[in-house]
Amino acid sequence: MKAPFSPYLSGIKAGLQELIRILRREYDYVSILATDSRGLAVRISQHARSVASETMTTERGVVVRVYKNGQYSEYALNEFDPGQVEETADQILTALRKQQSILDATGSKVYNTAMLRDEPVTLFVEKETEQLPETTDVRKLVEKLGALSDAGMAMSEHMIECMANAQSTHICKMFLTEHRDMCQSYVYSEGTAVAVVSRDGRNQIGYEGVSGLCGPELFDQLQDKMTKSVAMAVELLDAGRIEPGEYEIIASPEVTGLIAHEAFGHGVEMDMFVKNRALGKEYVDRRVGSDLVTMHEGALCTDNVTSYAFDDEGTLAGDVVEIDHGILKTGICDALAALRLGTEPTGNGKRENFEHKAYTRMTNTIFDSGDSTLEEMIASIRHGYLLEGMESGMEDPKHWGIQCIIKMGREIKDGRLTGKIVAPIIMTGYVPDLLGNISMLSGDREIFGTGGCGKGYKEWVKVTDGGPYLKTKARLG
Amino acid sequence: MLDTIVKLLKESGVHAWELNDVKTEGWEFYFIRHELDQNRAKHVEHISVKVYQLIDDGKFMGSASAELPPTATEDEARRLIGDLAYRATLVKNRPYPLNPLTEAHRETLHSAPVDVSGIARAFLETMQQLPETATEDINSYEIFVNAKTRRFLNSEGIDVEEIYPDSMIEVVVNARRDGHEIELYRNYQSGSCDAVGLKRDLARTMQYGKDRLHTAPTPALGQADVLFTTSDATRIYDYFVDRLSAQMVYLRMSDWQLGKPIADEIKGDKVSVTLVRELENSSMNRAFDAEGAPIHDTVILRAGVPEKYCGSRMFASYLGLEDSFIPSNVLVEGGTHSEQELRAGKYLEVVEFSDFQVDPMTGDIFGEIRLAYWHDGERTVPVSGGSVSGSMHDFVKDMLLSEESVQYNNYRIPALTLLKNVTVTGAES
Repeated sequence: MKAPFSPYLSGIKAGLQELIRILRREYDYVSILATDSRGLAVRISQHARSVASETMTTERGVVVRVYKNGQYSEYALNEFDPGQVEETADQILTALRKQQSILDATGSKVYNTAMLRDEPVTLFVEKETEQLPETTDVRKLVEKLGALSDAGMAMSEHMIECMANAQSTHICKMFLTEHRDMCQSYVYSEGTAVAVVSRDGRNQIGYEGVSGLCGPELFDQLQDKMTKSVAMAVELLDAGRIEPGEYEIIASPEVTGLIAHEAFGHGVEMDMFVKNRALGKEYVDRRVGSDLVTMHEGALCTDNVTSYAFDDEGTLAGDVVEIDHGILKTGICDALAALRLGTEPTGNGKRENFEHKAYTRMTNTIFDSGDSTLEEMIASIRHGYLLEGMESGMEDPKHWGIQCIIKMGREIKDGRLTGKIVAPIIMTGYVPDLLGNISMLSGDREIFGTGGCGKGYKEWVKVTDGGPYLKTKARLG
Repeated sequence: MLDTIVKLLKESGVHAWELNDVKTEGWEFYFIRHELDQNRAKHVEHISVKVYQLIDDGKFMGSASAELPPTATEDEARRLIGDLAYRATLVKNRPYPLNPLTEAHRETLHSAPVDVSGIARAFLETMQQLPETATEDINSYEIFVNAKTRRFLNSEGIDVEEIYPDSMIEVVVNARRDGHEIELYRNYQSGSCDAVGLKRDLARTMQYGKDRLHTAPTPALGQADVLFTTSDATRIYDYFVDRLSAQMVYLRMSDWQLGKPIADEIKGDKVSVTLVRELENSSMNRAFDAEGAPIHDTVILRAGVPEKYCGSRMFASYLGLEDSFIPSNVLVEGGTHSEQELRAGKYLEVVEFSDFQVDPMTGDIFGEIRLAYWHDGERTVPVSGGSVSGSMHDFVKDMLLSEESVQYNNYRIPALTLLKNVTVTGAES
């Protein structure tokens, strides 16, 4: 079935178009993003169970962007009444004039920017889904997750808690200008299986996730993930500490995704180029990785949690080859950064929600596959680790440092897994070294979309990342 | 709309309900260098409703929650509440009572209006008065000033409203030398603008930036004493608060017991933690938590011995705790050592991490070092690279705290915290 576009947004469209006409008397450019995204989140554990209609991306509201004299301003509201458009226009004008008076009083200068183009675009997209979060059978889902949690508890005597989480969001967004009328509707879902074990006062957590551009039907895949999650937690109980040093490593697809995201995801967000905050600006058309490294970024790269038709600034989604056989080709760009850099936007202008500013943000960041097998990669290592499970990462685009917290490493000696596990692992390094040392890539790939991404320590949005197993060298601690 | 929702909740026949209504007037200013990238304003209202139903003759209780749009019609709100009433019957938890109406709910609360434009102007002027130089300056900053009006109601009769300021400024500092430029990131949260504190900390940050351009690789120290003198130390104290949270204790993810020391043979300073309702200019000053529980000053850890667990109504109730609440401000008592004593001997003072983390469940700490000072007893050398790691389970036995305190928004903690025998992976090969 098609995910139906929001009747609420359809109902306020004419009013918003009228608002644009009124504000155009005062401003040279006016755009509006209106959102109405509904969701379902079910969390089941042995000790606490809940059903909610909120997910990370549920929202209903309107953000108005205006432009005059080289300056962009925005106003966000969530009580738009199509019957009181003049009043809303007054509310916006009054607030922005008050702000302007403070800016004038403090002598604040403006980063003079050109006006966005407003070429006509009409688009109406409803993507396919089997189910909708707002109409799915919640009772069946609760029972399914409850059974999963119970099954997980029975998998090990060390289990103290087992969580099965499922959330699904029906995104509806409408972007309007004087000449644009763009509507999209799609559903994405994500689920996690989390196992908590305890032995001799020592606790460990294992988790696995699933995600996709689909409805709650996705959660049928959680059964297999729970088995893996429990196995990981139990294995971690016997994990030792790693001897710090530089090792040959094989990154599992999840860790590969983390590297892609932290190394050259944030590093080529081009609003950072405007601020001169990213070293990548100086490396376009230069080598940043081995010849095996090709990396894509864009909402069109794959179908997953952030595979939209247009971004939050009304730019059509794209698929950008950021790194082509080791050579950095380009970055990703929101609309205002593109104006400031004299380039084209790539469909990566994203907001946490209608209340937040649009920044250049990642969507799907993915390493291309190679032609090796995991077995060949393991056989090629004298002493190193197969790294599995990601905890978190942090980038330093200005310095190209990278920090990844990884769940565990499986020791490899003389081309074989020894069975010894170390955890947790902090992987650090210099991005060009890490990518430059990539010597093998597996032929398969996986994509992960259960996490969120911040800019600094805020502005959380959905992203995915992934790729194949990859072999390189890194400093582990 | 709020009155309509309350009326519909009362008519719905659900066992119990809670409602949070937060109105925000927000002003935001984004700067590249000192030029305005964009200004933003917002006027929004978020109404969150949670309903509870008894199941199986009261043996269980379920809950379901949703945000109701302020634009919802009465019919739409009735349907949404009806959905919640049904969904709440699908999940079975142990029953517990919601927070009751008490004398504390009749107190006079923060009700003075917040001067958003005045606070915003103070931030704008403060950022124009920083001691920037040709080699250390401000790359960009983002100012957020919010006036929040929060009303909480529940089916037990609680109906309270608070008005408070909530501000944040994110600042990126650059330092350069011989064509090489680095950046340092800062994120300050507060009630209103703390101009003096902001200027002082950004001046210190610019000095850190200057030093980071002169670093040597962090030596492979193996085990070393590590001194925390920045806001990263709040993560260390989160460990203590989290280990005493009702949820972690109930879920057996924390084994800390009331009246029993958190570790055997504590040789260092014994940590004392109090949850407090007010800290000067904290953005978290609240009279009531998100579930309507009154917040009052409460000692949870005294001299290394747990005195009280604290947390949400559900888990607090399961543990049999009365007058519990969700923590907002944290006060950690100073220790027994002067700064001079803590700075004696060899130690690594880490002032910039990529992302310092403390896992409350496993106790693991880790962070990549972006800037540290290695004090070898005679000289002080700026270093970078490598990482620190170890376990709080071990560190609590001999950590040392300064007598002096410092405040980072909703934390007042010892100005210096020394962890002993931390694993330091060097950047030297």
